[in-house]
Amino acid sequence: MAEEAKKKVPQNRLPKQVYQALEYVVGNRWISDKRSLVETYSKMSIEGMSYVRKHNRDASALPACVVLPATTEEVQGVVRVCNRYGVPFIPFTNGQVFSGTTNDQPTLIIHMSRMNRIINIDSDNMVATLESYVDYAQLQAEAMKVGLWNGGTPLATSLCKLSSQFAFAGLWQTDLKYGLLNRNIVSVKMVLPDGEILDTGTRCLPGAGDFWEYGPGPDLMGLQRGGAGSNGIVTEISVKLHPWVGGTSLPEVPAGRPSLVDVHDPAYDSPPPPDNHRLYWIEFKDLDTEIKTMREISHSGIAIGLNATGVYSAYYCSQTQEMTWDRCKNKFFPDYNCYVIIAGITSPRQIEYEEKVLKLIVERNGGTFLTEDYKPEVLEALMPWNLDCIRHTSGFRMNRKMYASAWLPVGPFEVGKKTQEFWKDALNAFGECDITDRGGADDTPFIYALQRGRFCFAETDNYPDPTNPEEITKAAGFGIYGMARLVKEKVCPCLMAFLNVEPLVSMFPEVGPRQHELFRKIRRVFDPKSVNAPGRQVWTEEEWNNVPPQLKDMVNSMRERVGLEKVK
Amino acid sequence: MSLKDDLSRILGSDAVVDADDILRSYSRDQSFEQPGKPDAVAFARTVEQVQEVVRYANKTKTPLVPYSSGLNLHGACIPKAGGIILNLSRMNRFIAIDDKNWFAIVEPGVTLDQLQDGLAAKGLRAMLPFGVPAKRSALTSVVERDPSLASASFEYGNDLLMDTEIVLPTGELFRTGLWSAGGRPGSHMGPVRSMIYRFWTGAQGTFGILTKACIKVETLPVVMELHAFGFNSFADAVAPLRELQRREIGLECFLLSSFNLAALLSRDWSIPESYPAARQDSSHFKTLRSELPPWVLFINLAGAPELPEEKIAYEREALGEVAKKHSLSSFNLNGHREVLMEEILRPWRILKKFCYKGSVHDLSFKAPLARLPEFQRLILQVADTHDYPVDDIGGYILPIERGRAVHCEFDFHCDNNDAVEREHIHLVWQEASQKLIEAGAFFDRPYGAWSQMMYRHSGQYAQKLQDLKKELDPNNIMNPGKLCF
Repeated sequence: MAEEAKKKVPQNRLPKQVYQALEYVVGNRWISDKRSLVETYSKMSIEGMSYVRKHNRDASALPACVVLPATTEEVQGVVRVCNRYGVPFIPFTNGQVFSGTTNDQPTLIIHMSRMNRIINIDSDNMVATLESYVDYAQLQAEAMKVGLWNGGTPLATSLCKLSSQFAFAGLWQTDLKYGLLNRNIVSVKMVLPDGEILDTGTRCLPGAGDFWEYGPGPDLMGLQRGGAGSNGIVTEISVKLHPWVGGTSLPEVPAGRPSLVDVHDPAYDSPPPPDNHRLYWIEFKDLDTEIKTMREISHSGIAIGLNATGVYSAYYCSQTQEMTWDRCKNKFFPDYNCYVIIAGITSPRQIEYEEKVLKLIVERNGGTFLTEDYKPEVLEALMPWNLDCIRHTSGFRMNRKMYASAWLPVGPFEVGKKTQEFWKDALNAFGECDITDRGGADDTPFIYALQRGRFCFAETDNYPDPTNPEEITKAAGFGIYGMARLVKEKVCPCLMAFLNVEPLVSMFPEVGPRQHELFRKIRRVFDPKSVNAPGRQVWTEEEWNNVPPQLKDMVNSMRERVGLEKVK
Repeated sequence: MSLKDDLSRILGSDAVVDADDILRSYSRDQSFEQPGKPDAVAFARTVEQVQEVVRYANKTKTPLVPYSSGLNLHGACIPKAGGIILNLSRMNRFIAIDDKNWFAIVEPGVTLDQLQDGLAAKGLRAMLPFGVPAKRSALTSVVERDPSLASASFEYGNDLLMDTEIVLPTGELFRTGLWSAGGRPGSHMGPVRSMIYRFWTGAQGTFGILTKACIKVETLPVVMELHAFGFNSFADAVAPLRELQRREIGLECFLLSSFNLAALLSRDWSIPESYPAARQDSSHFKTLRSELPPWVLFINLAGAPELPEEKIAYEREALGEVAKKHSLSSFNLNGHREVLMEEILRPWRILKKFCYKGSVHDLSFKAPLARLPEFQRLILQVADTHDYPVDDIGGYILPIERGRAVHCEFDFHCDNNDAVEREHIHLVWQEASQKLIEAGAFFDRPYGAWSQMMYRHSGQYAQKLQDLKKELDPNNIMNPGKLCF
């Protein structure tokens, strides 16, 4: 290794008076700027640019300090200190998504892990109020005890925090009936970047309680949801609960399933579906038939979940990495398929009715159910989904590479076909990092049916090796190419992983149009000093001027590649 | 140049009016809001014209009040500071009805009945609000969060808006949902991962003008089966209602007081064409009111596109179980069934209630189901204190999202031509509103006097709205004087 590369990357430090002020707020046990500790916050699991900076030995990848507040009041205290001294801060839960990395200035990480209580489950009004570090599994376990649940979990596992998903994503396997997290938020309590408290929904009226999401008047929660956590810190979130008829508990895996070759626990890997729930797998001859059938199932009004899985079954349902690769290579799972989740909420007769309708539609369209007589070994391999469709615990367990460059365009079911076409083009242009990258090109993208089939998400991803800078750079190309291609083709690129929200906001002014101008104005209102996760959702003019030219060049080269003009 | 000349240059001379009698007709509605006369009424036909007028208003710092049908009935379109009424009723095109992906795109001039008729021709339906005039703008109704009659289902619990096209207060065009990418609409998602479209809901045109909206629609039910149960008090309905909702029985579910149901069924009255309406006596209304149970709960079972009778059959069975468990007494629909079934898709007969005294002054708020009897008592107490006959209070209760919240409308009736009565009812209405808000009733659409009562208590929420108003509408031209601006 060259002498230069061996040098320790210097760590930014907070000024002493700032550290002391923060220490006064949270206590000396809950603040640290130790190198060994802040290092763990220096990259995010799927935020590609932070890996690139790590590989480049960029000092700005290291936060200066981390605090762990325990209450909303402590968060307020921390934020006020930051505001007073102009210290940028980043709220942090799992660090699982693109929580936003640090920048050149000494940056504070506010880790919410001590705020992990379920504050209340209001079974009368079907609302749960949670602190910001409560995850889906925790919520479901408590809600199911009183015959309720929150309506779903993300495939990114039930360890995701709902407050983080408020800021970023929140796609569930049961979006068909319950929508995304979008549709399931009642209110939030936020500490704004100046330390003030904003309560949304009925919480903003003293004595009203917590049961209704809109207003009064214009809906401020609409501005905050999806704001990448850059307009304040959610310290409490209230979410809707729905009737649950599946029993008071599910077999629970504390932190995902084991990934050992010889570990196969039937409780988790071959469980039956919960009481009063059924899961059906259907195979199709091609994507057209799959899409047509999915639309008809959606419109029929049956089922709580409907999704096509493609390559994802290979790594969600395999016990080892080798098994994943083998199943991909040998096309163990059907190329075109979907699963349907049915629940008997009204009565057991509802299940009978919905099963009958499902069979009618599938038969009409020439689909084939996986059964004990047809591909029983495949059906057996898919059994982990029986529980994962309700509380997802396996995550990306069998793809040990990095999950990156997720494309998640939205549109009618036909968006699945466009995604397949564009993804193939991207693979041809850049090459694959892993065989699982071919998912969506050679088989179905992951299609989430939403809102009774009015629209869907069609997901494709690639999987670079996080220890290989070249592969990560290639993945970055995928992500930016995807954004550029979708914008060029006027397909809504609703969710794009790998990068922070920027540069995809400022460098694609076609969207909105000129969405960055409106977002900048909103940001000025909430964060005039630009201390809350700066540079994340939208760059200020000053930040835009300081964006490294290489990044702008990289995006512009992709824009030109698809026929869009360069952004100046 | 005069205001009329300037606007005529943008819109054409046939699209601007400043005759005093016309201006006066825009200065009031049937509510208690103070009249306010505009200086001109301008009719736009295109989004470009809307943008031009907004830019002009900014340049000249002229207040601008967006107006679609004028049937808000709560004073939202009454100018507080003169200026321009921008009438959008000539922007009345159906841009699209997509029967494959279940949405309709409309301009602000398309009315609720036009939307329902247009959809029915394609085998679809809109989820319409109950008791909102048929000639109200469909776009405004959805954007102002009029709750659909099917709100009990999670799917239609006040979330019907998908993509939007908005002229911002400074004249720029902005699109949300799939539209934000410049392509086809069909989802609320976007731009990026935002839910920003919700910011313009319930805003009374204070943050911009919606020029197009994509609205969620549904397939027309093949079969429907309406059930009804009578109750002696609303409190008696709470437990069975909660159980019916927990079991997700029925698509539409609502309760009507005897006053409202009698008004709906009265053969002597017809749906008014304008508001306030002409006062009329009805012996049929009086007879019905005395005969009907104090509250009637309606549950509509709607058959899905596939095997509709079988769907209704399992729901009917479940409904029977709940009815038996709670010893519910069926309300005999004979003679009224046809009329009431029509109300599910065209819910306008309840507007006949305006014939009782001419104008209706409602208390429209959200509450948790369990607190509703308490709020109802509070309203009755205020009415009693002021000698308003409690039997003359109309009631409409709509569970939202399986009973998580309840939309409530309690009405006071008033003859606007009788100044003494008007002053009296105004006092009752104001005191009841104030007491309800202080007790925690949530007026999520704070029209008129409710805005001060609500925002006075909502601290940082109101402050941030004001900060956003300054940033997004720096000249304060968009419907000034409304909400907390």
